[in-house]
Amino acid sequence: MINGADTAFILAAAGLVLLMTPGLALFYAGMVRSKNVLGTIMQSLIMISIISIEWVYIGYSMSFGPDVGGFVGDLSWFALKGVTNAPSSDYATTIPQTLFMIYQCMFAVITPALITGAFAERVRFAPFALFSLLWALLVYNPVCHWIWGGGWMSVLEVPVLDFAGGLVVHVTCGAAALATILVIGPRRGYGRDSFMPHNLPMTMLGTGLLWFGWFGFNGGSALAANSVAVTAFVATHLAGMAGMAMWTLMEWWKLGKPTTLGAASGAIAGLATITPAAGFVGPNAAIAIGLIAGIVCFTAVNMKSRLGYDDSLDVVGIHGVGGAVGTLLLGVFASKVVNPGGVDGLLAGSSSQLVSQLLGVVVVGVYAFVVSWILVKILHSTIGMRLVEESEIQGMDYTEHSEAAYN
Amino acid sequence: MNSGDTAFMLVATAMVMLMTPGLALFYGGLVRSKNVLSVTMQSFFCLGIISILWVAYGYSLAFGPDIGGFIGGLDYVGLKGVGLGIGPYSDTIPDLLFCAFQLMFAIITPALITGAYAERMKFTAFVLFTISWSTLVYLPVCHWVWGGGWLGELGTLDFAGGTVIHINSGAAALVACIVLGRRKGWGREAMHPHNLPMTILGAGVLWFGWFGFNAGSALSAGPIAVLALFTTQVATGAGALSWVLAEWKVQGKPTTLGAASGAVAGLVGITPGAGFVGPLSAILIGLVAGALCYFAVLMKSRLGYDDALDVVGVHGVGGLWGALATGLFASVAWNPDGADGLFFGNAHQLVIQAIGAGAAIVYSMVLTFLILKAIDAIIGLRVDLEDEVQGLDVTDHKEVGYSL
Repeated sequence: MINGADTAFILAAAGLVLLMTPGLALFYAGMVRSKNVLGTIMQSLIMISIISIEWVYIGYSMSFGPDVGGFVGDLSWFALKGVTNAPSSDYATTIPQTLFMIYQCMFAVITPALITGAFAERVRFAPFALFSLLWALLVYNPVCHWIWGGGWMSVLEVPVLDFAGGLVVHVTCGAAALATILVIGPRRGYGRDSFMPHNLPMTMLGTGLLWFGWFGFNGGSALAANSVAVTAFVATHLAGMAGMAMWTLMEWWKLGKPTTLGAASGAIAGLATITPAAGFVGPNAAIAIGLIAGIVCFTAVNMKSRLGYDDSLDVVGIHGVGGAVGTLLLGVFASKVVNPGGVDGLLAGSSSQLVSQLLGVVVVGVYAFVVSWILVKILHSTIGMRLVEESEIQGMDYTEHSEAAYN
Repeated sequence: MNSGDTAFMLVATAMVMLMTPGLALFYGGLVRSKNVLSVTMQSFFCLGIISILWVAYGYSLAFGPDIGGFIGGLDYVGLKGVGLGIGPYSDTIPDLLFCAFQLMFAIITPALITGAYAERMKFTAFVLFTISWSTLVYLPVCHWVWGGGWLGELGTLDFAGGTVIHINSGAAALVACIVLGRRKGWGREAMHPHNLPMTILGAGVLWFGWFGFNAGSALSAGPIAVLALFTTQVATGAGALSWVLAEWKVQGKPTTLGAASGAVAGLVGITPGAGFVGPLSAILIGLVAGALCYFAVLMKSRLGYDDALDVVGVHGVGGLWGALATGLFASVAWNPDGADGLFFGNAHQLVIQAIGAGAAIVYSMVLTFLILKAIDAIIGLRVDLEDEVQGLDVTDHKEVGYSL
């Protein structure tokens, strides 16, 4: 039975999540050098085209279609066959299924766009586009199916829980980010030259848009305009702001000054970390999760230079680590008092959920890392992922797109 | 509980949150490029500080059970008892959602003040000021008007925050820019906005978010929300138009900055009356707001205070006009839960509006003065002269806005 209010809410939420991808483009683009700003924007923006097409024809069916062995959906919903404006009997039963489909599409779009921050400023456009398409098919769609589409993780005795994509979105993209940069290698001059963000106000704009869109991402994941949506909405805001405050304090203390880039990074860390738990925890737990995110992700990002890999825009440290930590913290802070349809975590006296969450993090992390590594290794050793040296020096805006961002 | 109202208020709350990043852009474009991040940071940091404060005790002091008409009690500290059921402020949305919606208002108000002391206040002083001001000024005034305090009891109409937000922040801004003193070189050197497209983008984001701010203040997806959305739109258009026409006539050219400022003036002007006045009244309110705020801003150089980004002229004066205009144009024909204003035969409403505005102005100015003097005595308010010359982005945040 379709509910008008739920439909209105998810329509708005889908619009909000779509806006996150252009927001991400701005967030990332401000952090690169001015010769690579358009190339970076393009990598996020083009996902809206590539993944939306993939989603309509194959992705939605692979993710949410009838289950095959717990691993993936079959292709019986190819090209949206049978997907109509009648509600699905399995998912989001109060809104049209086409709306559920397009809402989920926005998640599928932003996930590979998030990965691009790791290998920014050094990858050719065509191999990148091919990588992203194959990655959606081999990593995103199966993992999405395991957790949200009726796959094996959702039918365990204690199912792995992921409210809005801590595993499906953030752990998968973080693991893929690590795999790709290990294969592709660092930017030329990394560790020697300075890589100053070329336009931090642009990054702050991106942060604001991401934060705004995240209300649709997490609040909308309740799939109805009900009290769970309110719980998720409030938790999202509180964790985002706590992450921002804590990251800023950490760098003020450790590195001497509170920076805008730190505030932006902390906000995204808090938002990514609360994502899996948003609909299951109360306001005070959300603040605790955000504060933990600020400390852990700040530390993870600062480990990078010691470990020597060039995760250009900190996808591993923020999304990978944040998504994993949030998924585990769900198993600590979740409470049936807050969400009667949810679960109790460790603090409410139940340890079984935490065990399932740990299983989810390990399996999704390893699967996404291994498949991404093999995929990028094959592409890198056949068609080659990287820009040639002159192109990297000249900048991808000109060499890949024949444009310049500023005149 | 009504799921339509809940859906609407979820979206409206997100929109009001977006206004603070929008304000960061609006202000960020207006300063010199060496200070763009410091101004941006101040707005963003309000999102952090005020959210914590709000959960810890802010919501309780503003909306907790009334104590003597002045302040709320401590019953809701740590959001104790603020849950997903119906609360005292709405019968159709969860209590926690009302709390979140109000939080976004509490965030943007101290962020608005930052425009007055832009380009010269220490970041640490800003943090202390924001915490103290929110606690000692915003929360009480919010309680007076919306939380069951004495102004609400008196019958002051403030639909979406003309008194609570704009008069309050404008009065604080006037004191702040006088106590801090002028920027070095003010009145002598040109201090051009460094990035006007950024300011225009900020104005657009603010305008968009303001639909959540004003229409959402109806707290339900009903006719009053529609009225507020409509009056917001036409007043803003009128404000932009009249500011631009005024500056065209007085200074010779229509500017994009004038259009942006006029739009914000119109938005501020209609805020207190948005759900109480009809569309034609809204146009008049907007027209007056645009021209009035333009002349208020022009006066600044004659009066000699350095209100860097015109918080006093736009928010203070615009808010004051809006509060009084509500006492002129309000009509129970449009909103039966409101009141009639002077033009509909009820002069008393105008008196009440003036009392509300006057109380907020006096209280905010006195407390702001005391807070700033205290902080100045403890850690100092202003950055060193060298730092001011070099720019706060480098000295306070160790960053630069652009390396093109």
